[in-house]
Amino acid sequence: MSTLKELYAYRQMIFSLVKKDLRGRYKGSVLGFMWTFINPLLQLIVYTMVFSFILKTNIERYYLYLFVALIPWIFFSSSITVGAASVVAQKDLVKKIYFPRMVIPISYVTSCFVNMLLCFIVVFAVIICTGAGVNAVAVLTLPVIMAVEYLLALGMALLTSAVTVYFRDLEHILGIISMAWMYMTPIMYDKSIVPERLLPVFNLNPMTHVIECYRDVLYNKRVPDLTSLLSAAGLGMLFLFIGFLVFNKLQRHFAEEL
Amino acid sequence: MERNETAIEVKNITKSFKVYPDKGAQLKERLLFRKRSRFEIRPVLKGISFTVRKGEAVGLIGHNGCGKSTTLKLLTRIMYPDSGEITMNGRVSSLIELGAGFHPDMSGRENIYTNAAIFGLTKKEIDSRLADIIEFSELEEFIDNPVRTYSSGMYMRLAFSVAINVDADILLIDEILAVGDTNFQTKCFNRLRELKASGITIIIVTHDLSTIEKFCDSAIWLNDGVIVREGRSPEVVDAYFDFMNKKRIDSDKAAAEKKAKEEAAPPAEENAPAESSGGIDYSANRFGLRYIEITKARMLDSSGKDSRIFSTGDNISIEIDFRVNKPLEEYIFGFGFYTLEGECLYGNNTQLDRIAVSTDKKEGTIAVDVQDLPLLAGKYTLNVAVVDRDGTPMDFYRNYCGFEVVSDDRSTGYIRVRHNWRITK
Repeated sequence: MSTLKELYAYRQMIFSLVKKDLRGRYKGSVLGFMWTFINPLLQLIVYTMVFSFILKTNIERYYLYLFVALIPWIFFSSSITVGAASVVAQKDLVKKIYFPRMVIPISYVTSCFVNMLLCFIVVFAVIICTGAGVNAVAVLTLPVIMAVEYLLALGMALLTSAVTVYFRDLEHILGIISMAWMYMTPIMYDKSIVPERLLPVFNLNPMTHVIECYRDVLYNKRVPDLTSLLSAAGLGMLFLFIGFLVFNKLQRHFAEEL
Repeated sequence: MERNETAIEVKNITKSFKVYPDKGAQLKERLLFRKRSRFEIRPVLKGISFTVRKGEAVGLIGHNGCGKSTTLKLLTRIMYPDSGEITMNGRVSSLIELGAGFHPDMSGRENIYTNAAIFGLTKKEIDSRLADIIEFSELEEFIDNPVRTYSSGMYMRLAFSVAINVDADILLIDEILAVGDTNFQTKCFNRLRELKASGITIIIVTHDLSTIEKFCDSAIWLNDGVIVREGRSPEVVDAYFDFMNKKRIDSDKAAAEKKAKEEAAPPAEENAPAESSGGIDYSANRFGLRYIEITKARMLDSSGKDSRIFSTGDNISIEIDFRVNKPLEEYIFGFGFYTLEGECLYGNNTQLDRIAVSTDKKEGTIAVDVQDLPLLAGKYTLNVAVVDRDGTPMDFYRNYCGFEVVSDDRSTGYIRVRHNWRITK
């Protein structure tokens, strides 16, 4: 509880780290901040080309089907992979000055989150421009889905960033884990094609629910399934709780290990 | 708040560090070289307890590696003790690492926000302090320039200004008062005094004992992870000072003995006496006609041991061994104490003292006893010489050897002047 109170007191630090990260991300490039928008747009073009001309699928508007799942996934996976290195990357700060250590993963995940929000501007632009249309009521549930995903991502980032301090290989192992995780989540395909016996695994994967919710709202234009959302929220809280406990325990020796 | 309230309470804390001879943090290394990741445990703090009351200024002293910086790190919660308890009442600001999180490309103003945020200030709090911070840093004209364009002094001034304006209840300071020029240092000290007067608790770690004496109410002396002494700062500082002096004398003597063993034979004589070159080179360290030669000189402490380190007030002797190459009627021996800059502090010889020295021996030793050595702490050089009756140098060492004086007298200058203060009106 006292940790939460302290984190609240340090909100300005989180805010300033997020700002610094967002500003620094495309620093020195000609297009600068525009890359936040150009990048997902270019990705969309590539996927459209591949799946319209080479790998033809029978899913209607596959590019959109993929796009609305991919943007949230990228937020999640970068939170755990790059987020894992976040504490190590700030070692100068950690070794020299006191602040609640959780500020680091929190601000990193938050900056990825803000980045995702900006990408959603592109998502909506595409939805509107291609005439796919939106369901206003369904879109209202979007903030809830995003919040659930944020909790999940934060829980994972707390866990991975703390463990990486003691075990640096994790950073690299996570690269492959996140790739496997991506294929174990119905992002590029539909959950309906998953074999029956593998379904329990998919249902335990919180990202399955999260992605399905996003897709319901933005692709199927309907209010997401409540059970899906609830199981995602439940798993999200659990992840966050575990991440919080582990981080709190491990952070005591950060300064010595770094 | 009450003055007698406890600000910091430290109860029996211990801290050890793992020292890896070669640490393998990677999976491969951990699996392959299990033995290698064995570590030694080095205890740094072995059970320390102290209490600091609100509004008190406490100095932590001790030689390098005694655990004082570790103590400070534990107080800031950068690290945690292995056992024991630390209670800090109030907001803590540490002036341990100034300018943490400064970004060189951002302006001074932006960096104030980033840096102050690291101390846990909210935007509103920073806004209200911004003017004070900028004013204190004296960087008004440069505040919107990127920090990379600042000189190191400006950088430190900005960082210090932020740290000191955090409005902490407890301020932890580690060896950082060497900030900027003297004026700024004075300003910092005045500010610290103001803060102290307003009831802020301050802990300082420094090697500068005068800071502790001037500024702190009490001091804690740590040695090898335990508290040797704590109490009013002048007493602790004096005790520490004595201890360090003794330690220095001992270690210097040990080194000297070791060196003496290694060089059992005296160093080879310098060759090419000056007479052959037709003149005397007065600028050389050793010059003279060498009709009589100084073969060795020694400085002896009060117990008669050869030494190069003394305390003010010691009774010392200087012995000069000489060899006569060409007998003269009279020899004049002299000695002098010089500063490292070559300034003569004191010089004397047998002629000035109206002592006629003559000898018919080929070799001999002359000694001069110095009572109550009046030199203050510092490094000096000894000059020894022998000249003939007319003052022609026979063998003149401008700088025979260096020696050091340690002292509990903290007067400035070179010479101790016995004195008393009294109020006459």
